[in-house]
Amino acid sequence: MIAPLFEYGIVGESTSLIIAVIIGVFFGLFLERGGLGDPHKLTGVFYLTDFAVPKVMFTAILVASFGLYLLSDLKLLDINRIWFVPAYFWPQLVGGALFGVGFLISGYCPGTAVAGLASGRIDALIMMIGVGIGSLLFAIVYPVIEGFYVFSNLGAVTLPQILGINHWFVIVFVFVFAGAMFYVMEKYEKKKV
Amino acid sequence: MNKDKLWSPYIAGIGLGLTLLATFYVMGKGLGASSTFSLLSAVGVNAVFHDFASRLEYLVRYLGSDALLKDWILYEVIGLFIGALIGALLSRNFKIKLDRGEKMPGRTRVLTALTGGILVGFASRLARGCTSGLALTGGAQLAVGGWVFVIAMFVSGFIAAAFFRRLWS
Repeated sequence: MIAPLFEYGIVGESTSLIIAVIIGVFFGLFLERGGLGDPHKLTGVFYLTDFAVPKVMFTAILVASFGLYLLSDLKLLDINRIWFVPAYFWPQLVGGALFGVGFLISGYCPGTAVAGLASGRIDALIMMIGVGIGSLLFAIVYPVIEGFYVFSNLGAVTLPQILGINHWFVIVFVFVFAGAMFYVMEKYEKKKV
Repeated sequence: MNKDKLWSPYIAGIGLGLTLLATFYVMGKGLGASSTFSLLSAVGVNAVFHDFASRLEYLVRYLGSDALLKDWILYEVIGLFIGALIGALLSRNFKIKLDRGEKMPGRTRVLTALTGGILVGFASRLARGCTSGLALTGGAQLAVGGWVFVIAMFVSGFIAAAFFRRLWS
């Protein structure tokens, strides 16, 4: 097994930074062409007027999830060398909730704000300055909230691990759930036109 | 609206998913965005108020000697800007403007963009990531942390939309 390439030393550090730019170009291209540089489209889901965000997001999650676990099962990728997102239940629940409010009010999340700025939106630049300020505020109050920040640490666990089932069951469940959601969204959008 | 010129969200989603998969395969980690702004803010504050910055334990973790030169996500975000710019220019979707709800005054928009951004910045650090690093990456990994974040974000966004009905109309 040779992948992940960087972890196995096939790709060095300076090459990895060039790859970062290339990956970023595709990231930005698909965000912008999917309409996710536009705050009206980004917030549309919350007003049930535009479903671009859940459509792009859950399609991407499904494709990457399918590929990641397939490559791992075929022994083409060493999944133990992948950095997995850690779970800190309460900070991520509260953080996610605060994030949702900020997303709705500003109209962007950090990545889509960069796409918004690249399509000429000045408000996206102002939002990005806000993200920098918010991050600094977090650093200032960190001594007070450190206890909460490290609370409910579950480690880098996955849904199949805590449910004790095969990962393909979870992927099929997400596929069926997303498929049903897309179906309802398409029906709803047709009705409105 | 430029609606018709956009790609199908499913095509964009497949492209984004393959981009994330390539990141897993090559780098052994996922995409990210919010940490770039934390890094830039930390470096900026440190440059102007060094004593203040060095007393902030959390901030110091962003202040390695070559933080700006070797931060993978910073390079990825630079690419993100270039890619989105290419997309906007090629489709003639580029226009300098202060984007907002139809009846919202410009001054109010500056305020909503800034306060919303501050909330997002704070929340991203508390949750240890944003829509890219937690929702997309963690979601695809079937990571518990990613899904907790996604669900909390959508539920809270819907509730907030009920309170701010005319923000975007």
